[in-house]
Amino acid sequence: MNNDAVAVCSGVTRTYQEDSVPVHALRGVDFTFSRGDFVSLTGPSGSGKSTLLNILGGLDRPDSGTVSVDGVALNDLNETQLSDLRLAKMGFVFQSYNLIPVLSAQENVEFIMQLQGVAPAERAERAVATLAALDMADLAHRRPGELSGGQQQRVAIARAIVTDPVLLLADEPSANLDSATTEDLLRLLRRLNEERGVSVLTATHDPMVMKYAHRRVNLRDGAIVEDSAADGV
Amino acid sequence: MVLPLKLLFQLSVRNIFRHKRRNGMLLAAIVVAVGAVVCTSSLIRGFQYDMADAAVANLTGHVKILAPGYLDDPNIGKSFELAETWRPDVADEELAGWAARVRVPAVIMSERGTRGVQFVGIDPAQEHISFIGSVAVEGEHLADASDGRILVGRALAEQLETGAGRRLVIITQGHDGLNRESGFRIAGLYDAEGTGLEKMFVFTGVDTLQKMVGADVYTEISIRLRRDPVLFQLKASLVEFFTGLDVLNWQELEPQAAAMFVFADSAFFIWYFIMMGALVFGLVNTLVTSVMERVRELGMLRALGMRSRGVVAQVVLESSVLMLIGVAIGIATGWLAVLSMGDGIDLTQWAEGIEAFGMRGKLVPVPLADDIVLIGLMSVVLGVVASLYPALRIVRIKPLEALRR
Ligand SMILES: Nc1ncnc2c1ncn2[C@@H]1O[C@H](COP(=O)(O)OP(=O)(O)OP(=O)(O)O)[C@@H](O)[C@H]1O
Ligand SMILES: [Mg+2]
Repeated sequence: MNNDAVAVCSGVTRTYQEDSVPVHALRGVDFTFSRGDFVSLTGPSGSGKSTLLNILGGLDRPDSGTVSVDGVALNDLNETQLSDLRLAKMGFVFQSYNLIPVLSAQENVEFIMQLQGVAPAERAERAVATLAALDMADLAHRRPGELSGGQQQRVAIARAIVTDPVLLLADEPSANLDSATTEDLLRLLRRLNEERGVSVLTATHDPMVMKYAHRRVNLRDGAIVEDSAADGV
Repeated sequence: MVLPLKLLFQLSVRNIFRHKRRNGMLLAAIVVAVGAVVCTSSLIRGFQYDMADAAVANLTGHVKILAPGYLDDPNIGKSFELAETWRPDVADEELAGWAARVRVPAVIMSERGTRGVQFVGIDPAQEHISFIGSVAVEGEHLADASDGRILVGRALAEQLETGAGRRLVIITQGHDGLNRESGFRIAGLYDAEGTGLEKMFVFTGVDTLQKMVGADVYTEISIRLRRDPVLFQLKASLVEFFTGLDVLNWQELEPQAAAMFVFADSAFFIWYFIMMGALVFGLVNTLVTSVMERVRELGMLRALGMRSRGVVAQVVLESSVLMLIGVAIGIATGWLAVLSMGDGIDLTQWAEGIEAFGMRGKLVPVPLADDIVLIGLMSVVLGVVASLYPALRIVRIKPLEALRR
């Protein structure tokens, strides 16, 4: 199944130096993430979920161990190459929506394609289609400040998936949403996962998120203590 | 990935509009600084040109031909002959004019007093190139080269307690070394700017003075150009033609004025860097603030895959766009201020002090296109340089760290 793996970690450790006391955020994580997976990364606060997600996303580097995404070993890449890799292969959804305030919803969605050099007409077409798929067509010309939290998170998701990333990484995507909006969001992720085959990895405390995932990986003190198939809804 | 310039430009412009008040104030500061620099630099140029002009008009010309040793010991022995048909080898459109003169030290006497002066024989038709061609005269100006009367400065006439129509006696050395003495009638009294000239120079027709000294010779030729640039060529060709004579340009003849001319150049740059230095402090300060409050946002752009240089370019563009707008408005404002000064600021109330600098009574701004282009270009370069510090500071923060703030 190895050619079906989009991301592989082996022996990944990450230690932070906090007031000269070492904090072992990850203590040797081995993890394979397959194409089409919908994984929820769970565990108590401080167990290393965000750290693992960031290392997989090429935003942070492990102290030891190797990470590869889509066959590319991240350890070998310099900052610019990592940046280009994030642009080409990753979709990020952050806890707080992190849209660009001076751009409209549609412009935010087009932003990454613009960096990738996609032609304007194609860009607009894809952005409009993706926003429409997320029921956001009517609000495409509003700026983030004129959208609700749930709407902003939809725009962030549209931006993350419009480029068909190899990997969609979402760190606590529902933390700032009420439960009804969270449910909507999860159905959406699930649909994208099933219809478009987007591989989704979310870090969450939220039991509802766990419910929607196919696979649950439980972290404790920087190590995986459980990796099991979840039922899904 | 090439830089997505259109996107970066769009982001820059919108970010400028995001903080209208702050950027508006910064813009106002740029406009004031650039406007003030444009305005004052054209006044400095005005001062500089006026001074050079006054120096050149002071019987000097841009280039002067003299017998060797004349400057140290001016007398009719240090003279030269000149063919009737001679004329300077300069195109008409570049030549403002030229004049051949006899200039000798002399003693002038009235019943009331005796003074030492420079007695100058001129052809009035040639003297539009010097101050004596344009002075106001009470009585009559000299009619031509053979006029036998004299033109006396008002200040000298007051010292000698004489006036137009009266007679004076002048003693000078002849070409043979013997003293000559003649009586002259005063044709008129002239008013020069500054009493120094009025006390120094007494004029008569050049033929008259040649007859008095007993030789058909000249002591100097002054050449005045319309523009400076041909000066060097001209001097070289004159040196070749007048072998054995001294050919000097105005900087050599009026070293003080030439030094002031150079000083005015540096004053322009010093003034520019004082104004812009103050502005750059404000600019860097504002940019640091505006960039630091967007740490998260700019970190997010990089997390999503914008390269560091894209972020640097965005910040630099923001500053440059602001600077460009400010420079454009500033130049327009400065230009309007220059126009509003019309034909100059009257300085006659301080005229006593100002004469010492070789200036005349009016300060006329001279806005030079080269200066303005230079001011504009240097300001935009300054804008880029000023924004590099905050831009590089922001990309030193790792995206993840920036996102956590
Ligand atoms: N930049 C950092 N500097 C120092 N320590 C850090 C840093 N980032 C994370 N840590 C520490 O590493 C450990 C793992 O943190 P991480 O953010 O991965 O946990 P998490 O599982 O995402 O927690 P949460 O559920 O609260 O988001 C924690 O003990 C945390 O304090
Ligand atoms: Mg976390």
